Amino acid sequence: MDLVANNLSYKPDDQYHLNEVSFNFKEGNLYTILGRTLSGKTTLLKTIAGLLTPDSGEIEFDGKNFLKVPVWERNVAMVYQQFINYPHLNVFENISFPLKQRKIDQTVINDKVMDALKSVGLVGFENRKIQELSGGQQQRVSLARSLVKNAKILLLDEPLVNLDYKLREQLREEFKNLFSKGLADETILIYSTTDPRETMELNGEVIVLDEGKVLQVGPAKEIFENPNSLKVAEISNDPPMNIIEAKISDNHIKFEGIDVEAPQHLSKLTEDGLKIGLRSSDIELNENGHEFEVELAEISGSETLLHLKRGNTKIIVSIEEVLNFKIHDKIKINFKIDKAYAFHADGKLASSPFGGLNG
Amino acid sequence: MNFKHKYFFLFPGLFVLIGILIFPIIFVVRLSLSGWNSYNPGLDYIGLENYIRLFTDDPRFWESFFRLSFLSVTTVILQYVIGFALAHMVWKDIKFKRFFRVLFLVPMMTTPVIMTVIWRTFFHESLGPVNDMLSIFGVAPKWLTDPVIAKFTVIIVEVWQWTPFMFLLLLAGLLSLPKEPFLAAAIDGASPVRKFIYVTFPLMAPISIGAIIIRLIEASKIMDTVYVLTSGGPGTSTETSSFYIFIKGLREFQMGYAASMSFTYLIIMIISLTIIAKVLTKLLLKE
Repeated sequence: MDLVANNLSYKPDDQYHLNEVSFNFKEGNLYTILGRTLSGKTTLLKTIAGLLTPDSGEIEFDGKNFLKVPVWERNVAMVYQQFINYPHLNVFENISFPLKQRKIDQTVINDKVMDALKSVGLVGFENRKIQELSGGQQQRVSLARSLVKNAKILLLDEPLVNLDYKLREQLREEFKNLFSKGLADETILIYSTTDPRETMELNGEVIVLDEGKVLQVGPAKEIFENPNSLKVAEISNDPPMNIIEAKISDNHIKFEGIDVEAPQHLSKLTEDGLKIGLRSSDIELNENGHEFEVELAEISGSETLLHLKRGNTKIIVSIEEVLNFKIHDKIKINFKIDKAYAFHADGKLASSPFGGLNG
Repeated sequence: MNFKHKYFFLFPGLFVLIGILIFPIIFVVRLSLSGWNSYNPGLDYIGLENYIRLFTDDPRFWESFFRLSFLSVTTVILQYVIGFALAHMVWKDIKFKRFFRVLFLVPMMTTPVIMTVIWRTFFHESLGPVNDMLSIFGVAPKWLTDPVIAKFTVIIVEVWQWTPFMFLLLLAGLLSLPKEPFLAAAIDGASPVRKFIYVTFPLMAPISIGAIIIRLIEASKIMDTVYVLTSGGPGTSTETSSFYIFIKGLREFQMGYAASMSFTYLIIMIISLTIIAKVLTKLLLKE
């Protein structure tokens, strides 16, 4: 059973929330919608769920016009970024709520709820009140509520974004297990996130969304290796990919007085306005490298993010160590230039180290 | 905190409290133990004589009390149902939402006594527009002079006058509800009707209890409507407790006896409202 959308558009004010979005989702697959905040992810999920009606375009599911089906008959389940539960019900009643809406035998309901509780690790919490649970537990309850339905379409709208770091890691791990456990055999799983790392870990089919428009569709690996534009490169990397305005001539890349030999896949590009893209992890400290000035050094976890400047060029370097730098320190870095991307002046990919659009 | 002059600063508030609440209650209790009436005005002491008379020899008081219970419970239930329906209607995004919200409040802004005079004119048996219209169907109910129908006339007027208050409380409650459970319920497969039964109504339970209690207290003081509409008649068929106490105390000047009725009435109301609040909480909040 496929979920097919054609040219969905939604423009409630002077900005597009969805702009001609089309997709073809097949059952048994995991789809990740990657985009920054306000890129239209939630709007898209709400449209699929039936909470929003698009201005134009159509959605078909199982060959039927999905837009004509009211929300409560769509057989979708959704987990929101805010932990949405029913505050007046306890954990058991919360999870059994979707089942209670159909005529299902109470013993079957009990079994299903217990299964769901088991799969989210909340056995023993049946009679607790929702308000007594922590954020992570509340989100597990809403996850269990969405699982118990056996919905054909499971929508997860940034389910981890409001959790703290540790819980996020833990739940993400559990998500991966759940998804791989054959839950997805007959289900279309749609997961939206702003986090590129999450996207890569989930390793599904990725839809990159920006300002309501689909920028690129492909497997996670493909999006990571061959982003088709500057925008996608920015969205799919955290910290965003460094973009350097440079000139290539005589097999050399030149910018800010730096001159490095161009790798093979960039050597033939000689046009004006070329932009070189380099991931923050593809730059390293090196005694014999080029001198940059530290503008800011932030330590995040076990990583140090250095915001560096030379002339008009600003770059971010991430180093897998905790290092202390002062502002205005001068440091020397080296570029792993064979990992560099090149983009045309209009933002389209010109060449990637992984073979996209070579030369 | 040990502050030398605290009683000095508390005095203004305490003075008002003693003057308007504590003194009157104590005075009523003392008054109820006296035989103060128009022949014999004065705080003499006759013991529990008034209370003995009230409990053994005055069925009219107890009839008026049960009548009051019937009237107030019926009007409050009707007000709650109608008020909830109206509030639910303008809670959603409908056209002219603001207009309706104000419109539904208009009865509350009018002066009850004057509106009751107008209602009395409306329900006049031979001259009122209500029976004029009903004459098309060939019926002419005795709105104000039939002992049974008169009760319902009082209920109609009370409901009209005070449903807006209920509406206001319930609308405020609805607007304060979190939106998220409704999103979840729709996706969880609850149709609009089930959504109301399983989400809206239970979420509104605390507010409903408050609104019902407030209205019950107000409704049990019902006096002006009865006074203007039927003066307790025909006979005593629409006479309520407060109206009967008013007759005994301020018309027949049996001050001592009226005081004993007031005090008994106060005690009964406190006990029954406490029980009602407990029952409602148990019923609606399942606690």
